[in-house]
Amino acid sequence: MSMEKTLARFEELDAGRVLGDLTSEETSEWQILVTDIEDVHSIELELLATELELKHVQPCDLSSSLSNKLADTIPAFSNKNINQPADQIISILPWLGWAAAACLLAFFNLSDSVKPLTPTELTDAQKFEALIKEAPNTLRLAFSSASDPYKEISGEVIWNDDLQEGYMSLINLPVNDPNQNQYQLWIVDPKRDELPVDGGVFDIPYGSKNAIIPIRNALQVSKPAAFVITLEQPGGVVKSKQEIVVALAKS
Amino acid sequence: MILVDTADGKSHLLISLLMHFRNFILFSNIRSFEIVLGIVPPSESQGSPTTYLLPLVAKGDESAMRRCIDSYGPLVWSIVCRRISERVDAEETCQEIFTEVWRIAGRFDSKISKESTFIGMIARRRSIDWQRKQNRLPALANLDSLPELSTPSTNNLHSIDRSELWNILKELPSDTLNLFSLHFEKGLTHDEIARQTKLPIGTVKTKLRRGLIEARKLLKEFNHGRGVAK
Repeated sequence: MSMEKTLARFEELDAGRVLGDLTSEETSEWQILVTDIEDVHSIELELLATELELKHVQPCDLSSSLSNKLADTIPAFSNKNINQPADQIISILPWLGWAAAACLLAFFNLSDSVKPLTPTELTDAQKFEALIKEAPNTLRLAFSSASDPYKEISGEVIWNDDLQEGYMSLINLPVNDPNQNQYQLWIVDPKRDELPVDGGVFDIPYGSKNAIIPIRNALQVSKPAAFVITLEQPGGVVKSKQEIVVALAKS
Repeated sequence: MILVDTADGKSHLLISLLMHFRNFILFSNIRSFEIVLGIVPPSESQGSPTTYLLPLVAKGDESAMRRCIDSYGPLVWSIVCRRISERVDAEETCQEIFTEVWRIAGRFDSKISKESTFIGMIARRRSIDWQRKQNRLPALANLDSLPELSTPSTNNLHSIDRSELWNILKELPSDTLNLFSLHFEKGLTHDEIARQTKLPIGTVKTKLRRGLIEARKLLKEFNHGRGVAK
């Protein structure tokens, strides 16, 4: 296929992605093309579709229960700010920063010692280590296999309630084909008498014997009693039937 | 009433100061009424980029996040309810959307889009993902996996009014415009559109996709015509 045709095909698939009508095969094709073609990751089509829709959307009030639920999640997420890049934290107090710098320069002539901080993006493995070392009250539990086909797996999960942050370190979890199925983490929070909280969908790519996976909890979690990994359909599920339970870590 | 001797220079100064003060109070109140009534969202009502909420949210400002939920919650809820009819699922998706807003707020760029469009885009995507899950289709790529999000757009959607945008698209073929109306305005799914128009589902899908690509071209031409920089 010529480059022109490839680009046209990508454009059509990308429009399908924005409209939400890609089939499984088309999604795979889009994923291959998006990594092959540079400079085509534009979100223009998506913004355009959103603008077209918003023209006709009439905002309707949130129920008080939903408003409360949304408000309840705010403190948990603001705690995550601790891990933000240094430049963002500094910019919260620009005037104080400038005043302090001016005083230092005027009275102590320390201009050479004032160096800008550069943001550093930690890898998941570094974040895993940092959470264990630096965050007190981090829960640490060992994973054990939950069924025969996965008897080789081991690893651990760490979780911090205050930061609402956690990671899994997984060893010997078999590689999955994201088009066939995906792993999904579930967090059992005893304070919620409903379903376990979705901890995010993840894959084990080829060549990954050891993997560090960040937990992407959809809801706030408090003192989790257990973490369960299941194998689900691509994209994960809202409620797991727990047909294939891969691993379990419990306190 | 304030009586002053206008022959006195100091009195002129006093009157001038009082007028400025009166204007400040008067116009700042009008703006706040507009915001309260929802005519203009707070972040889009003022020209200065420092008034946007998302950069503050990105820095972990809790009060900005509260204002963000107050300002855009109703919009997000409407987008979600267009696609998800079960209340529990809709509420959960709404929570996921604001979690994502919090997580990627730092990627908002006022030179590319309006704040409401950025949040609306996240809401659209999450709701579509929910629908795809129900249909056992794979989820789409996350926004934070798109590194070029901050690349300036050639389409400058931030500066175009939504009604103006629909006017620009009047140049599209009438059948495409009809499908756009059914999809974006009425919120119908492809299946529902196929049933209503009696078109094959494949045709609906192709026409909507190509129509969206064509719409982007028209918008680019419009921007070039009015001299918006690339």
